Amino acid sequence: MTALTDRPGRPTTVATDDPRLRDRSAARSYTVLAVLVAVLAVLPFFLDDQTETVAVRTLIFAIMAVGWNLMSGYGGMFSFGHAAFFGIGAYTGAYLLVEHGVSPWISMVVGAVISAAAGCLIAFLCLRYKLAGSYFALATFAFAMVFLLSVQNLDVLHRTEGFNVPILSEDSWTMMQWKAGSPLYFWIPLGILAVGLIGTIAFVHSRTGQYAQAVRDDEVAAASLGIPVMRVRLITVAASCALTSLAGSFYTQYYFFVGPEQAFGSAVSVNAIMPAVIGGIGTIWGPLVGALIVGPLSEWIADILREPPGFLSFLEGLSGLDVAVYATLLILIVLFMPKGIYGTLRDRFRS
Amino acid sequence: MTEPTSTAAAPEAPPDRGTLRRPSEAVVPLGVVAAVVVAIVLVYAVGDRATDLVTQSVVTGLLLGGVYALVSVGLTLIFGVLGIVNFAQGAMLTMAMYLVYEMTSSGGLPVYVAMLLAVPIMFVFGVVVQVALLNKLTLSGSHEGPLLVTLGLSLLIINVLLMIFGGRPLRVPGSVDGSLEIFGAVASYERLIAFAGALLVAAALLLFLRRTSFGMSIRAVAANAEGASLVGVDVRRIYALTFGIGAACVAVAGGLMAPFLSLTPTVGEQFTILAFVIVVLGGLGSVTGALLGGLIIGLVQTVGALYFPGTGSLILVFAVFVLVLFFRPQGIIGAAS
Amino acid sequence: MKKLPLAVVGLLGALALSACGGYEPADDEVVIGSVHPLTGALAGQGEMMHEGAQLAVDDLNAAGGIESLGGDQLVLRAGDSKGTADAGQVEAQRLVSEGAVALIGTYQSDVTANVSAVAERNRVPLVIDVAVDDVILEQGYEHTFRIQPNASSMGRDGAKALAELSAANGKPVRKVSYLHIEGAFGQSVHDAFAEEAEKEGIEMVSEVTYPATNFTDATTQVREALAADPDVLAVTGYYPDSLLIAQAIRALGGDVDAVYGVANGGFDDSAFPADAGAAGADVLSANYHYAATDERAQDIRARFEQKYGRTMETSAMLAYQAVVVIAQGLEETGSKDPEELRDAIAGLQVEDPLLEFGGPIAFDETGENENASVTVMQVRDGRIEQVFPDQFKTADIVYPVGR
Repeated sequence: MTALTDRPGRPTTVATDDPRLRDRSAARSYTVLAVLVAVLAVLPFFLDDQTETVAVRTLIFAIMAVGWNLMSGYGGMFSFGHAAFFGIGAYTGAYLLVEHGVSPWISMVVGAVISAAAGCLIAFLCLRYKLAGSYFALATFAFAMVFLLSVQNLDVLHRTEGFNVPILSEDSWTMMQWKAGSPLYFWIPLGILAVGLIGTIAFVHSRTGQYAQAVRDDEVAAASLGIPVMRVRLITVAASCALTSLAGSFYTQYYFFVGPEQAFGSAVSVNAIMPAVIGGIGTIWGPLVGALIVGPLSEWIADILREPPGFLSFLEGLSGLDVAVYATLLILIVLFMPKGIYGTLRDRFRS
Repeated sequence: MTEPTSTAAAPEAPPDRGTLRRPSEAVVPLGVVAAVVVAIVLVYAVGDRATDLVTQSVVTGLLLGGVYALVSVGLTLIFGVLGIVNFAQGAMLTMAMYLVYEMTSSGGLPVYVAMLLAVPIMFVFGVVVQVALLNKLTLSGSHEGPLLVTLGLSLLIINVLLMIFGGRPLRVPGSVDGSLEIFGAVASYERLIAFAGALLVAAALLLFLRRTSFGMSIRAVAANAEGASLVGVDVRRIYALTFGIGAACVAVAGGLMAPFLSLTPTVGEQFTILAFVIVVLGGLGSVTGALLGGLIIGLVQTVGALYFPGTGSLILVFAVFVLVLFFRPQGIIGAAS
Repeated sequence: MKKLPLAVVGLLGALALSACGGYEPADDEVVIGSVHPLTGALAGQGEMMHEGAQLAVDDLNAAGGIESLGGDQLVLRAGDSKGTADAGQVEAQRLVSEGAVALIGTYQSDVTANVSAVAERNRVPLVIDVAVDDVILEQGYEHTFRIQPNASSMGRDGAKALAELSAANGKPVRKVSYLHIEGAFGQSVHDAFAEEAEKEGIEMVSEVTYPATNFTDATTQVREALAADPDVLAVTGYYPDSLLIAQAIRALGGDVDAVYGVANGGFDDSAFPADAGAAGADVLSANYHYAATDERAQDIRARFEQKYGRTMETSAMLAYQAVVVIAQGLEETGSKDPEELRDAIAGLQVEDPLLEFGGPIAFDETGENENASVTVMQVRDGRIEQVFPDQFKTADIVYPVGR
């Protein structure tokens, strides 16, 4: 606040060094995150086993959405094949554990690295050949399909059978396995989500993040300003894929089974996109808000369908209602609240 | 198709003239056809597969390709004119098939009559979808918006169908039984009719685009929407009609295919993905391209299956897709940018 | 800071919504959880199987409930796997948390693998009604049991049956072409069949696979399989693809002694004869099947059709049987403790199974039913008849079929 008096004689030369202009929103965001994590961390003690599974699933969605948002929301590179990276994380973990007994903690990191590399390769090829917009989305979709088909054809990856994580009789920190209902199964994805959100906040306020958004908004102008377009994009993609891969690795450990459809199926790609779009693309908290809506929503609808209140009795046991509701929500949001629920509310509060 | 000027993205395909005027423009498509022919000859000669088996796979591949082309023709129009990647194409195909099913089972109509009735219904549906859901986004030039909306639409259609009809596979009774022998290969009449239908639809569309004023307006909007509106074309109406035509094409496809497919709510999905491949391969907005592309992909799938059984041939199809995306994204019938 | 209350409220609200509506079993109730695809593309099968289980529960309750528990009534609670492994897992967990002492399900192998892990970790027995992959019971789990024969045993039994019935009808099979769906299911049935066939002196002249997706025309694959001039064309797959294959065989005028389904999801489905028409005539199918020769099973099927308005397929009968197995286990142990129930089930002998098996239902150390076996069905005059082995015959076999 008192920069000019702090440095007698020499005024500050660069705007960003002037504390009066310092961006406080990063600090605010971190504080919000810290409080959020603290509140969520105590949740497992209040939830029964069944609700905890819903909560964990919500967290996994959130991680995937936050990851997707980095590349598609902030980077402007719409990925319709994020299942590819989720799957790499899931299968790396499964393969290394089942075939080589490697600790899931290590294979999480390995998976993230492979995922980032794969993502960079795909993005590099696409961008080098000037694919953008719809073509880029189609290309990522095609790659995810190729991964799915390839896994189904490779013996070393158990083809269509998938991998079963061996169930241990004792809790094990090295093998990331505890008895059913352990709060650790909630805290680990919470931790990964926190890492993802820290990464997002840091990214948004960093130079690279600002560059990425500039490139997203106007590539030619950004390039003419000397921004290294390709490098910025690849960094964004790498971060996005690595985070999504962590979600995949945890998935394997939590569900004890992963097969080609669970890892690389198109439903996985949709799960990464939906929460982010519903919550708000290109915002820090949008994907999380979206996941909080999408995750429990399906349970809630299932509850209603199972035992509908009197006036809704015609809904009982109706196949497909929950997805129909999501799909409608998605369409309505894109049409009427393109900034997503969180994005629109935030703007309304600001003005 | 309004693209942000900064991204040198999807190159615009020239309006489909049907016949190519300049000889140099014919090089690529003819070259591709020649390459395919050469490949087939090689398979016969040195492919180490029984001749009649190869013939069967070629015939099946062409018939399959015709059906693929039928689904893709609508998609390429939508993609070419509106710039929209219609993720709901397969779902609309499924919807058309269920319409046909309903008319044949409850109404007792023969399947091809039901198909003719389904066409206007689906046309109206397409128009409504474009006007209600997509026009705003298309006009504002958004890429991701229409993508997401059509994604949501496809999920919605599939699940509503599921809610109404349940998941059990249904059969539409065919009208024609029996098959024909072609050079020792067997082709069922129903599939031949579907193939003929594909050619007819493609021809009809080409005539429509070339010879009618509506067609010209559509081509104008595809080439340059702003310019077209400046000369008085009602762009919104063209958009709506184009989507309607795309839906109508898919209605024909659904009706022709219903007799030989098991009907489930997800039956159309497998075609969505292949349709994208074909549209990119053939060239955005090109009806001839969709036809050619469909036939090629059909052949790749069936002849490829002789060497890569099971999903291996599908990987081959996607490999083709990726290669086309990287090396010639404007497709077979598209000017180099 | 404005974002904070929003997020927290949203979170708590959402979770609160999902947390409400839990179930507590009453003292005189015993809860069985049923996990099947009640929504999604397989909802038709899933609902039917759940109904089969419900009928069993109703029948048992009408007969007085579980005697050794003082007449406690059975309650069947539904779980919707939605056809996906994650949803199946969540539902299984929910049912267990809500007091289920045993689970049945799930129709799909990958979902079952997941639910099996839940059962193991929560120490609750799972009785599989339909799920074919061998691998599910090769994990060393102790809480999962399977009534139906697994993939490899069906392949083996199918080969044996074919050798026997062809010999018994004067034209012993010498050459077999095998057409099967790609993937674990098709491959494992084929491999087991091939191994057994070679022991019987049958030559496997051709193996042709077709993809699980994007398969709309079987002509080329069928042609390839027929090119080796086999006596019999064996087929393993699901309903839609098997239908395509039957049609292609007819279109090609395939001249074989028989079309022989092995663990085929289509050839003995009651809708197949109508859907396939002439293409389905005299098609054979070696598969597990409800006991068409057993009066009790016939009665159950009749009542099922009356109550639910649709035909009771074998999968629903297996679900019925699974409930019966659990009920018998409860009778034996006289306790609602899942671990004791599990032990009881492991040692059970369930006489008079409702499926055409060669003996009572009894589980080996891995949980497989030792006496599970296949029956050979044939489409005769638009109906599915059992034709082999003789003790289970409902009609005479036609072999070789006149094509």
